[in-house]
Amino acid sequence: MQDQSLITDAVRALVGRRAVLEPQTVTRRAVQKAMDLYLGHQRGAPEVGEPAPGFVLAALELGNDVEEFPQLLPNSMLISNEWQWERRLIVGETLRSESIVADISERFGGRFGYNITVRREIVLTGADGAVAARSVNTLMYYDPKNARGGEEE
Amino acid sequence: MSARFSDLREGDELPPFECAPGLGQVIRFCAINWTFPPFFYDPAAAAAAGFPGTIVPGPLKLGLIFRAVDEWLGDAGFVRHVRAAHRRPDLTGRPLVVTGRVARVYEEAGAGRADIEVVILNEQGEPSVRGFASVEFDH
Repeated sequence: MQDQSLITDAVRALVGRRAVLEPQTVTRRAVQKAMDLYLGHQRGAPEVGEPAPGFVLAALELGNDVEEFPQLLPNSMLISNEWQWERRLIVGETLRSESIVADISERFGGRFGYNITVRREIVLTGADGAVAARSVNTLMYYDPKNARGGEEE
Repeated sequence: MSARFSDLREGDELPPFECAPGLGQVIRFCAINWTFPPFFYDPAAAAAAGFPGTIVPGPLKLGLIFRAVDEWLGDAGFVRHVRAAHRRPDLTGRPLVVTGRVARVYEEAGAGRADIEVVILNEQGEPSVRGFASVEFDH
């Protein structure tokens, strides 16, 4: 059983680290893919210049090229994710994309034993310099040897 | 049919959104993201990972929450925030219900807003996702 923190100063220093990612354009094609995924059709996809459905975030390449978190524990699991919008996205607009490690925390005990959670945000910024949207993932890293079965935490 | 801010009350329930994400939808999700963990589409890999069948990706379920809230909201405004906290895996092809309850109605930055507590229930009635949404009304 892990009884000492694996969060070293070097790991802690990752919090706040920013990485510029490839810019993302809200293409009509991306909107069509997202509509196909969530609505089962592409009918009525908005034209360039019109508002895009918020779920277009699913079809943008958000975070595929982010830096891997150090492999401190063997397994990882998505425990939560979220999308945030400050305004409607527009078909055709290009957004600056940046990755930020927002938080790292750890927990001793519980259903998964010692675990580390990492919250990472992808921030999308419009041409005016204002944040337009965010995509946030929180991953839990754990060792399956320490996990035990159970119901909802 | 759209929600109306003037009619909204705390405790109001959203219409249940029923769905059953199938293998085709899961594969489309994997393709869009170009990520292919085998337990999403290969029953043998799912069994090796300890699941009784292939499972629905968590991020896909976030979009289901978005859709449930967006369809309730209609053209009255836009969804500002959705969050999904994943509690249990959901098996591909099994029925799910996205439920929502208005938790808070308020005005901020000159706009009407509402916060909504969301739960995705599996066919046993157990919560597989506990979520949250926030919407902004245009008028």
